[in-house]
Parts: sequence; structure tokens; C-alpha cells
Amino acid sequence: MPEKASDSETTARPVVSGLSRRARIMRRLTFIVPVTILSLMIIMAIFADLAWLGLPDVGLAPYDPVKMSLPDRLMPPFWDEEGSTEHLLGTDKMGRDILSRLIFGARISLSVSLLVILITSFVGTVLGILGGYLGGRTEAFLMRITDISLAFPPILVAMLLAVSMGPSFVTVVLAISLLGWAAYARLIRGETLRLRQMDFVAQARIIGASPLRIMLRHIFPNVINPLIIIMTLQIGLLIITEASLSFLGVGIPPPAPSWGNMINDGRNLVDTAWWISTFPGIAIALVVMSGNFFGDWLRDKLDPRLRQL
Amino acid sequence: MSEIVLKVEDLHTSFFTRSGEFRAVDGVSFHVREAETFGLVGESACGKTVTGLSILRLLPEPAGKIVSGKITLDGTNILELSKKEMRAYRGAMISMILQDPMTSLNPVYTVGNQIAEPVRQHQRIQDKNMVEEKVISALRLLRIPAPERRLQDYPFQMSGGMRQRVVGSIAMSCYPRLLIADEPTTALDATIQAQYIALFKDVQKETDVAIIFITHDFGVVANMCHRVGVMYAGKIVETAATSTIFKAPRHPYTNALIHSVPRLDRKDDRLYSIEGQPPSLLNLPPGCRFAPRCPDVMDICNEQQPQEVEISEGHSVSCWKVK
Repeated sequence: MPEKASDSETTARPVVSGLSRRARIMRRLTFIVPVTILSLMIIMAIFADLAWLGLPDVGLAPYDPVKMSLPDRLMPPFWDEEGSTEHLLGTDKMGRDILSRLIFGARISLSVSLLVILITSFVGTVLGILGGYLGGRTEAFLMRITDISLAFPPILVAMLLAVSMGPSFVTVVLAISLLGWAAYARLIRGETLRLRQMDFVAQARIIGASPLRIMLRHIFPNVINPLIIIMTLQIGLLIITEASLSFLGVGIPPPAPSWGNMINDGRNLVDTAWWISTFPGIAIALVVMSGNFFGDWLRDKLDPRLRQL
Repeated sequence: MSEIVLKVEDLHTSFFTRSGEFRAVDGVSFHVREAETFGLVGESACGKTVTGLSILRLLPEPAGKIVSGKITLDGTNILELSKKEMRAYRGAMISMILQDPMTSLNPVYTVGNQIAEPVRQHQRIQDKNMVEEKVISALRLLRIPAPERRLQDYPFQMSGGMRQRVVGSIAMSCYPRLLIADEPTTALDATIQAQYIALFKDVQKETDVAIIFITHDFGVVANMCHRVGVMYAGKIVETAATSTIFKAPRHPYTNALIHSVPRLDRKDDRLYSIEGQPPSLLNLPPGCRFAPRCPDVMDICNEQQPQEVEISEGHSVSCWKVK
């Protein structure tokens, strides 16, 4: 019998090596590049300063992101004739260092995304599994709420909430989470519906497992893969949502830097001081693209149905 | 004679759907003794599996319901148990093996982990070594080679035949009184099938478990079962010892079924097949359900349902022809 097991392993392998050399390098690149970018962003966010270690003066950011210095206002990036290496990416209309704001902005933008992902995926998974496994009225009720949530334009709802509660970090997280769980609930419910028809779930019932136990032990581990995949694919969407809210002035309140409100800051000066909006824009684009590429790569890796293609 | 483990009396199970009531099991009675294998034979959709699921009370909800009848396991009417009490019975007292070993194991857990689940749950053993011991003895019972090493394997590392043995180990891990095997050999190839059947005979000898063997294959019946119930459209039409069924079948349906098995010792030009289709469970004929396809049909067959007649000890038939 052991020979048989190794047999099936060797027959499963050549699928990947069947790709051409070039395709393999491309596939590798679509993994390495996004992971590098995301890791750099995360490192930036964590080490922007070391205030959380009790060392507020040490960190990656060269300046305090909210410290104004009017004599230095509107300095272009260092490669421009009027620029200086003191402010590598220039300064905004209040003389704040763009690079420092960008680094601290990573902290805010990424932590909003991370928190929202944790909240929404938890709520969505719980409701999705409950609905999918229990069926009947529970499912009908939960899925109608999901449909309603998916029908609302999220930006408008988030704006409503932000306006009524006043803009703050917590408001942004709550506002985006309020509807964000629905996408997870949909997907997880679908997966659960498929899984509960499987014989191993019937087998669990046969040996006397309770519904709660079946959901936790037999359904949940089998939905982790699709769950991780949409969690990564959501990074991009959430960064954009947060940036949109901040851009519209209902997100992270100034002077705290977020990529969205930095773009907003430079909106009126785009023709004279292009660097204020451009750098955070590039940062958003990089993170969103990396998130999506990484998500696609993960999906290819983790989804057995796609792996066989 | 040994003790009766399971007694099913006048079991009626229906599925209530939008198009009406499907009477999947319609008045089935039989019993199984300790260390005995009772075969439930019949073509697809005749109610074999539903009978098995009724005994476990695991009908697909909310459509499937046990309408009436009595199912007694070791003297307890299990239809009167609460949901919680029933869960304690499943796996510990009654167990079941499903048809397809490729899908009946959870892909994310090791084999050892999956066999340990019923052990932990029903025998309330927390000690790691004790659980492992039980798991190994369950693997050993099903003759899985090198069980100590197999514990850490995942289902995908095993062949179909090996997986079906693991499924058997899970089912037998708490030494249940009754095992329902729902076509456990259908998904296996012929040599593995023979091995698996031989294996179950050994398991039965060691544990005295009562087995209900659901199959459509008379070859398997001849090998495995002590007694047989032949099902047709939700009813058992004939019950007898296996040797009697083969030598002297009295119901025309049994006879037809046995004749449609290809044989090496006879030279037939064409394999015998039964004309027509089983009746729809939505609107059953008023008389005998086999009447429309029966070669020996009489007037009364279309009008009234035949009663079960015991023609000799342990041999009952429901047919107007038999008096």
C-alpha cells in the first residue's frame, strides 16, 4: 500500500513542470513582486516610529508626519532643481514631509484594512456556515439580510455613518465593516451547502456528532482556503474604500495622514504641486495590485479544483 | 438461537415534497440477530437506503419523516429517544458505512484523528495514549497493515480499498451492536470487493456485531448474508434464509432478480431482464406493486395488496400466488 501512495504523488507533480520556462518565471514573479511590495508596506507601517516600544524618536519616518513648517512649504521632490534631500518626496502646502506622511499613512490604511478584514470575515463566516448548514428559516433570514447588504452602495452607507458619528478611525472601520461581511457570508454559505452534501459530513452525523461540532470541526476547516483567498483579494478593495472615504472627507480626520486624505490635500494643487497627490496615489495602486496578484496566486495554489486545470 | 438486536416493525417512511408524499418505505418489518447478517436487496430507489437511514434517524430534513412503525434496538424503541439520546446511540450502538470511500473521509484530518472522534465522544476518554490504543485496535480489527504508521496518514495518501477499511474502522471503533453497510463494496473493484467481504465476516466473528447489508448484488448476498429481505417499491416482498432464496424463491420478483444475474454454468443467449419500470412512489397501484411487471399476474393482484404469509419457518412471502 505505501507504494501506491507515492505513486499517486509522482503522477500529480508534472502538471506544474509542464509549463514552459518562461511561464514558470512569470508565475514566480507574480508571487515574488507582490509579496515583496506588501511586506515592505507592512514593515513601513510597523516601523514608521517605535512609539509602541517607548522610543518615539526612532523610526523609518524622517519627520513627524503632522509637524508643520511653513518656510518649507510646497517643496518638490529631491530630483527637482528646487528640491532638497532633506525632504526626499517634497512637502505639502503646510510644509509637512510627504515621505513621513506616506509611511505613517501606510500604518493607518493597512490597519483599517486589517481590522475590517478580521471583523467582516469572522461575521461573514459565522453567518455563512450557520445559514448554509442549518438551512430552512435560519438560512432564508440570513441570506435575505445578506442580499439587502449587498444591494446598498457601501460608500454612501459609510458616508452616512461617518457623518452621523463624526469621522474617526473607529467610524471608518465600522462603516466599512457594516456591509462588508455580506460577500463572505455569500461565499461561505455556498461552500457550506456543497460541503454538507458530502459523505464525510453524513459520516460525522452517523457517529453521533452534534450540529455545532459538525460546523466547527467538519465544515469550517474545509472553508478556510476560499476564505483566505477572498481575504487577500479584499485588501485592495478595502484600501480603495478607505482612501475614497478619506478623500471625501468622511474618513480618517486630518491632520492624521491616510493615503486618501493626502490625495485630497493635493487636489487643488495638482497642476502646481503634483507630488502631494501622486505619491500616495502610487502607494495605493501598488498595494491594490499586489493584493490582487497575491490573492490570485493563492487561489491557484489553494483551490484544488483550479489546481487540476 | 442468539439474541435479537434490532427489530423493525411496520416501518413507514415518507418524503413530503411539493408534488406529494413519496412513500419510500411502506410497511417494512424485519429483525437482525447478534452475529447475523441480514441482506436488504432490491433495485435502485426501492427504499433500501431509506430504511437504513430511518434506523439511524438521519433522514434528510425537513422532507423525510418516519410516519409510523417501531424500531427496537436491544429492547429500546429508538423512535422515542430524544435527539440528544439518539446522538449518543449513533456511533456507539448503531453505525453505518457509506458507499463511496473517496468522499466519506474528511480530507483535512488524519486517519487517526478521524477514528478518535467517536472514541472520544462516546467513551469519554481524554487520555491521549488510551485513545491512540483504541484507534490502533480499531485499525487492527479491519486488518490495516502497520496501523501505528497509518495513524498519521491523510485520506488522500490511501487507496480506495484502504480508505473503505478506515471508514469501517470509524464505524466499528466503539464496537456497536448494529452496523448498517450501505453498498460498501460498490465503489471497489472486484478483487478488493471479495477481500472486503471476507474481512467483514472476520470482524463479525470477533465482535458479534449484527449487520444489515444493503446491496443490489446477489453475488455479494450469497457470500455475505445469512438471511435476505427482497425489497420492491418500499415493501419487503420476500424474506428467507440465503440458501432458500437461491434454491426456492417463491415471489416472482425474487425469481426474476435471481434470473437476471449472469451465470457461468448456464448458456443463455440473452440475459434475462424484467420488463417495465418500478411504479412511481407518488401514485402506487392499489394492488400488488409488482403486478404490472409480473409474469404470473392474476386478477386479484391488481385489486388487493397481498398479505405476508409465512410458508415455512423464517420464509415469508407477500404474493397472491403463494397460499
